[in-house]
Amino acid sequence: MTNTAMEAVELGKKFGRRGKWGLRGCAFRLPAGCVCAVVGPNGAGKSTLLSLAAGLEAPTEGALKALGEQPGAVRARVGYVAQDKPLYPQLTVAETLRTGAELNPARWDADAAEQVVAGGDLDPRSRVRSLSGGQRTRVALALALAKRPELLLLDEPMADLDPLARHELMGLLMTRAAEHGTTVVMSSHVVAELDDVCDHLLVMRDGSVRLDGGTDDLLRSHTLAIGPADAADQPAPHAVVESRRTGRQLTALLRADEPAPEGWRSEQPSLEELLLAYLRAPQTPDAPSAPAETQEAAV
Amino acid sequence: MTTLVPTAPRGRSELLAQVRLLVRLHRPALILWAAFVVAASALLWAVGGPLTDASAAAWAEYNACTSQPCAYDQDAIIRYRDAYTYSTLALLAVPAVVAAWGGSALVGREVENGTARLAWTLGISPLRWLAVKLALPAVAVGVGTGLLAVFHRLAWSAGQGRIDSATSWYSTATYYANGPVVVALALAGLALGALAGLLWRRSLAALGTAPLGLLLLWGGLHLVAPYLWPSVTRNSSLSDFLPGAGINVSQGVVDSSGGRHDLVSGCGQIYDVAPCRAAYDKLDAVGFYHDYHPASHFWPLQLASTALLLIVAALLALAAFRLLKRRTASTRPEVRIAA
Repeated sequence: MTNTAMEAVELGKKFGRRGKWGLRGCAFRLPAGCVCAVVGPNGAGKSTLLSLAAGLEAPTEGALKALGEQPGAVRARVGYVAQDKPLYPQLTVAETLRTGAELNPARWDADAAEQVVAGGDLDPRSRVRSLSGGQRTRVALALALAKRPELLLLDEPMADLDPLARHELMGLLMTRAAEHGTTVVMSSHVVAELDDVCDHLLVMRDGSVRLDGGTDDLLRSHTLAIGPADAADQPAPHAVVESRRTGRQLTALLRADEPAPEGWRSEQPSLEELLLAYLRAPQTPDAPSAPAETQEAAV
Repeated sequence: MTTLVPTAPRGRSELLAQVRLLVRLHRPALILWAAFVVAASALLWAVGGPLTDASAAAWAEYNACTSQPCAYDQDAIIRYRDAYTYSTLALLAVPAVVAAWGGSALVGREVENGTARLAWTLGISPLRWLAVKLALPAVAVGVGTGLLAVFHRLAWSAGQGRIDSATSWYSTATYYANGPVVVALALAGLALGALAGLLWRRSLAALGTAPLGLLLLWGGLHLVAPYLWPSVTRNSSLSDFLPGAGINVSQGVVDSSGGRHDLVSGCGQIYDVAPCRAAYDKLDAVGFYHDYHPASHFWPLQLASTALLLIVAALLALAAFRLLKRRTASTRPEVRIAA
């Protein structure tokens, strides 16, 4: 199991006794060392999934394992940054980092923390309550990264950062992750921010996983077919993930195991086109047969 | 520098780190509490020392008076009474204040703004997080309140027999401030606050409900406490007043066959007035009875009440732990994941 960073079976989470399901029937498997983007619209269950993986909440049904264990048993080896970047407002930046170091004496990497905070024009003596959103993000990321986690869970990590800081921190994050073989699981709305860095995708909608697999494999297993909307020869309906009509032209995302109709232009979709098609599709058909390692997780 | 990180057993240094974090977070509250304990101790020292002496001297002057107008230091008597009352009330306010603080600043705020989750992701397990949050404040609250209760008892006993207006041991406020019950109440307040903070997950809601819950608990204790220890019964004839001074349990009249009846309302202990005499004769009353706790029951009552409160506090803390465990469930029955 050492090559699996995170795995879920029939995972469900209900809020409150009579509340609605935030997650239902989720099943997936993430290989160790991957950089995985969790993508989906608001309310898709991304944050719930990440907080379950961090051992902060208990699943209502099913099971989730992080680093091969119950999430609660591996807190020391998992880093997590929540969406709202909670920090103790009354502590200073230095006190916050010192607390992180004292709580993780065996793993703490002060250089990493220093590096993340350095770009933020931060006075170590200033109180956390006086920081800007971007500065808070830096401190929260520094805490998570300096733990040298084997699994790093980031919930909308870059939302409060300007494009420059976003670029800088993403680069830093990826370098560190690559150095240590860290598995990074990151939720985001911003597709562009994921394009270069992710090698694995988890597309969520309405509390369940719609698509799961290695980025390259997923791109290869889909075709973007473009043809006349009124042509007699239309793509086979069961192969169409989603189609859109612009004027007299129809653009359809097809599963690659089905050929595009005669006379249609076909090309490989971009990551953004793939994601948008799956997010827009009201009733997503079964995801295409995924690459070997994710296939067995699909229940 | 790479993945060869020693997985050291997480033990003492992490625990110390958690203690330091707690102290860092609640330094203002700790300083305020220490200052309160020092100030209240100083006040109680003054009550038991110079203020008692001055008041006793004034009472001695007053009692020695043979002529009108009588010259005595009335201000000293009033100063003593006020200082005693305020210091008693300050001590009795501690349990409710602890409940409010425990519910809001200690637990509710952290659950509400997400810093509890931050702590858990920094490697503190939720149950240990709560354990340290309860244990350290419990020590601070227990020691501080315990000291004040001792000082209160010393201050109170300094005035007994010397100050005619000093309160009796069974006067409600004095009784609660004079022994370990107030310490147990404060600890129950802490546990109640923690539970409220976890339950509502909101600082303000816990701030409102935890002290209210404590007052209900206190009220409940006040009702059952007299029955925690067997009371003493004294009887008197109908022409005498009820004997025995202490904590009341029940009183009434006894008929010739030994049966007990309530006092007739409007008559009470008055027999020698025609309508009352008729009413009591109709009941075949032969005397009054009085079930009460004399001064010798002070410690048994205090200790039994304290034990009861500590059990309640432990149950409240247990409920808080169970709630947290169910929410975060580090040890759920495992659902097997097929490899």
